[in-house]
Amino acid sequence: MTTMLDDLLNMEPEEIWRRNERPDADGLRDKGQIYYEDVNEGDELPKYIYKPTPTHLFRWSAAIENFHRIHYDLDFGLNHDRNPSILVHGSWKQSVVPQYLKDWTLPNGWPWKARFEHRAMLVPGDILIMWGRVTSKYEKSQMGFIELEIGMKTQDGIESMPGTATVVLPLKDGPPIPYPFVPPAD
Amino acid sequence: MTQQAPPTALTPEVQAMIGVSGDIVESWGVVDGEYMRRFTQALMDPDPRYWDDDFAKSTRYGELIAPPIMVSYLASRIRPDMDDPITAAFEENPESDGIGSVARPGELPPVPTNLVRVLNAGNEIEVYAYPSIGDTIFFQNSYSDIRERLGRDGTPFLIITRETRYWNQDDVTLCITRASTIRR
Repeated sequence: MTTMLDDLLNMEPEEIWRRNERPDADGLRDKGQIYYEDVNEGDELPKYIYKPTPTHLFRWSAAIENFHRIHYDLDFGLNHDRNPSILVHGSWKQSVVPQYLKDWTLPNGWPWKARFEHRAMLVPGDILIMWGRVTSKYEKSQMGFIELEIGMKTQDGIESMPGTATVVLPLKDGPPIPYPFVPPAD
Repeated sequence: MTQQAPPTALTPEVQAMIGVSGDIVESWGVVDGEYMRRFTQALMDPDPRYWDDDFAKSTRYGELIAPPIMVSYLASRIRPDMDDPITAAFEENPESDGIGSVARPGELPPVPTNLVRVLNAGNEIEVYAYPSIGDTIFFQNSYSDIRERLGRDGTPFLIITRETRYWNQDDVTLCITRASTIRR
């Protein structure tokens, strides 16, 4: 049972961190399937909690070969771009989204699509909460479609990435989700 | 006194950019386990589907998979057989921000507008298949949509959406990304 988002936002940062529900490798290996029938409107997804540091930002810049100095050069960030610190990458946030949807739909569902906006500057020291909530569900072509509201909030409740997503879960008595994924015709 | 409508930002020249595509780019190298290790560790995604061969064989995919969005970064790697734009950018301007003056392959021609202020308006990703180790990645950018909106003061601005499709050597679409920017 996940901690509800509203409850998390009433906690101290260290308490939020202790409620991190990011799975480890074994958790992902052994995860059971969530079926369409298991999901109800208003359900919340597990909360992934992050505490980005300058090292995390440097590591991401290096991994994707993003040389933008606002992410690793504090002097440049403060004095050239007048940012409050080095900034957490939008590219990292938007890469967490498909990971988050993948993890929830594993092993046989499909993290089909998401759209989101980048708002607020995130900096080392922030506690970040990746969250999702079921807004509606429907069946089509023997697949279960789940509409989600998603986002990444700071410990202060500032929404830095408001968005929506559509994922596909198998029906308990339905066929496998096609792979590669083929969306149903409108 | 009649109020004159502001001039449109969606001129015929701007409208003509809708559907314009860039070159098809074949990325340098292939999807490889070492790039994926660095990417998934930096992302903090420990999924064994990315690194445990035996377990991966037991999944519905039957092999190691890679995060679809990873190919969008892998595909923009700077080829070693071209002039290095990072070195060039900092030789030209030691105070370069490290990104604005760095040319990447497959870029689109600029939209002909005098609206110069650029703001991020949002992103989309659609996922269709997981890349496999050894895949060669191709991509192509296009302007999928350009719309005009009016600001609170009645001044028109543009929302420009750039779509990028990524596919592999078997022409399997892996993912489609869209990045929208506001031009004021």
